[in-house]
Amino acid sequence: MCGISGIMYKNSRHQGLAPVGNDLVRMLDSLAHRGHDSTGYTIVGENNDGQLILRIWTGESEHPDVILARAQEAVEQVGGVVNSRQAWGGFLRLNLNYEGEIPELAEAILQTEGVVIHSIGEASEVIKDVGTASDMEPRHQVGSLKGTHGIGHVRMATESKVDITHSHPFWAYPFTDVTVVHNGQLTNYHKLKRHYEDVGGYRFLTDNDSELIAVYLADKLAQGDSLTDALRYSLEELDGTFTYLVSTKDGIGVAKDRWAAKPLVTMETDDVVAVASEEIALRSVFTDQELDRAEPQENEVLTWSV
Amino acid sequence: MVSLDAHSLSARELNQAIKKAALTGSQITILNPQARHNIAVGILDSCKIDIDGSVGYYAASLMDGPEVNIDGNAGWALGENLMSGKIVLTKDAGASVAASMRGGDIVVGGNAGARAGISMKGGTLLIGGNAGFLTGFMMQKGRIVVCGDVGDAVGDSMYEGVIYVGGDIGSLGADAKIIEPSETDLIELWGLLEQSGINDRPRFRKIVSQKKLYHFDNLERLEMSAV
Repeated sequence: MCGISGIMYKNSRHQGLAPVGNDLVRMLDSLAHRGHDSTGYTIVGENNDGQLILRIWTGESEHPDVILARAQEAVEQVGGVVNSRQAWGGFLRLNLNYEGEIPELAEAILQTEGVVIHSIGEASEVIKDVGTASDMEPRHQVGSLKGTHGIGHVRMATESKVDITHSHPFWAYPFTDVTVVHNGQLTNYHKLKRHYEDVGGYRFLTDNDSELIAVYLADKLAQGDSLTDALRYSLEELDGTFTYLVSTKDGIGVAKDRWAAKPLVTMETDDVVAVASEEIALRSVFTDQELDRAEPQENEVLTWSV
Repeated sequence: MVSLDAHSLSARELNQAIKKAALTGSQITILNPQARHNIAVGILDSCKIDIDGSVGYYAASLMDGPEVNIDGNAGWALGENLMSGKIVLTKDAGASVAASMRGGDIVVGGNAGARAGISMKGGTLLIGGNAGFLTGFMMQKGRIVVCGDVGDAVGDSMYEGVIYVGGDIGSLGADAKIIEPSETDLIELWGLLEQSGINDRPRFRKIVSQKKLYHFDNLERLEMSAV
């Protein structure tokens, strides 16, 4: 079991960024009973004049500051110009100007031993840690982040080990701004992973099945498919049980497997779209209004864009 | 009359308070359920429970006797294993409503999710709107009435019992078949709809088991040589 949630403010690109971080913290906190192992978020803000947001982590290193400094040097050696830097407890967030190719930047960072990339995005960033939403909030202050939309996940691990690297959301290396949270298991993971490694030439950063969904969708989007089409193809090509959410620079999407095995409820008003594994999460944000919520059925795909 | 505020009680405290009030056959009102799980579970005495808002998973499950009205939505497995009594939900139910119910009545005013009435063993499940994928999966006894449409694989591997569908049928499940309801069936059905305040009378179709899965229909090679 895992819990997923997402929220999008439809008019936030025109009317100003919304309290997406705060909403998702409350939603994931109310879903904590679906998974205590780890919690994670993608928060999507504005395009920042072509700047990139880089989020990395130093793993279990004894000297995180040294490693983070090396990673930053690697960024600068390939032409990255760091505009702002925040580092805490082995985590690093950089805001940078970079003109080159994303794979070149990512590879340069990964050559620093002990560094894990959580995300590279033009507007999105991934924040994840072990424990519940309440546990991680003092360390990361996700609640203070504003955005147009975002997705989140609480994990009860089934497929790979419990640590920060294997927490959701998964970023689709080496694309920008495609991240996925997933409730379920993929049974053709190894086959598809080999395919994407051998034929697509992709590199996977973890051995978690959910990472494949992010790469799968990013690959389809890179080939020119719409998000809706990419999600539809996944219903045929991914085997197993899944209800997953994808976040891109422009919106969020949902896909539910052919067995309708994993829950999801959705609600939509003129201003906002919210989705979650359980209604309790919607009610944690929309406390004082009558909710008209819907439950997507098997093989259903939904997308919304800001 | 007893009024309980779910906001200030844990699920266990709330259910213990309901059980205590049910002993005297009280009318119980539950406020602020906020879609939380396990509300009104394991109530075994006759009483009347009104829940003012949406409930989460397993609401009014493992019950024997009470009459429960829920003004809102329900999560997965509303009324699981109901033995007797009645549950009326005004809006939508999640997946697996009335799972393994043995008796009594469950009425869903809106739509139901996937696997409505899975493994039902008795009683009546009435759905005012549509029902999802695998409705009546492996049902063994009882009656499911869907006034709207049903999704794919309705009645898959059902042993006994009947499913009535007023709208479109996505597809039939393995071993299910459609038959015309008899006049007695329809009189009974319309009585049920009237009782539940449902005014539409669509043309219902009746789905029952073909019972071909009761026995293996081909022999193993060794068995053939023995025949």
